Amino acid sequence: MLVLLEAFKAIKEKHLEAKKIVEEATAQAAKLMNEAEKKALSVYEEAYRKTLSQAEQKAMDLKREAAKEAEKKLAIFLSTAENQAKGIEAKAKKNFKKAVDSVLNMILC
Amino acid sequence: MESTRVITEMILDEAKRSAEGILQEAEKSAEDLLEKQKQRGVQKANEAAKILLKKAESEAELNKLNSIANSKIKANWVILSKKETWIDNVLNEAKTVLKIMTKTKKYLPILEKLITDAGVILGGKELEVLLNPQDSALPLRLDNIAKKITEKTGFETKLKLSEQKLEVIGGAIVRIANCKVIMDNTFDDILRRGEKDLRFEIAKILFF
Repeated sequence: MLVLLEAFKAIKEKHLEAKKIVEEATAQAAKLMNEAEKKALSVYEEAYRKTLSQAEQKAMDLKREAAKEAEKKLAIFLSTAENQAKGIEAKAKKNFKKAVDSVLNMILC
Repeated sequence: MESTRVITEMILDEAKRSAEGILQEAEKSAEDLLEKQKQRGVQKANEAAKILLKKAESEAELNKLNSIANSKIKANWVILSKKETWIDNVLNEAKTVLKIMTKTKKYLPILEKLITDAGVILGGKELEVLLNPQDSALPLRLDNIAKKITEKTGFETKLKLSEQKLEVIGGAIVRIANCKVIMDNTFDDILRRGEKDLRFEIAKILFF
């Protein structure tokens, strides 16, 4: 009878110990979830910020690229214009006297 | 005693397994929650990014088109200013040649013709001739000129040299006596009047 009582007592103690283990795990789980919920906003914000920052970088690259392209065009236009201007100068030098004579004719005739 | 030990070990093992299960599930839930939040953040940012990129694309394109248009204007301006400079050079050279010519013998008949033409346009009669100081000293045959105007207009014409002197390269202003009506046949005014057409003509000769 004594042995049986000892056995029941041991089982009861282990039950209590088991209950405590489960309770601690439950508390730990609740703490984990609590921390995750607290962290959730910063995770959201970080993901948002990182993704948007990449897009902002891409937008800046787009604008930079377009500006570079426009600069290249400007250089081409100016170079073409300078060449044309040289051609104009050559023609103008050649025809200068003829043009002056034409003005004089218009005034004097 | 042995059976009691087995039972208690079973109880503890079961409790440990349960505890492990609870913790694993919590960890998974926490991970899922964070992953979901992360995805939500990315998705929301992607929506904003789409708008941002679209705006950036159109701004970049617009800026590019503006810059290209400005570049074309600049390039055209380089050519245009070069042409304008040469046209100005021609006009200045023509003025210089005219100034030199006013000191030669060739000038007197030209001046007389300018006065005649002005007198005819005014319809003859009593006319005054205004010249620059240098031309005022020339041996102008005003009677001859008046005669020509008379012939062309049919009105008896008299010409008088005005005391008033002009500051012009050459040529003359003819004025109806006692009247404000004038005909400006100075080189300066002929150039000014014809400048628009002249520039066009000069451009045609110089650049084509």
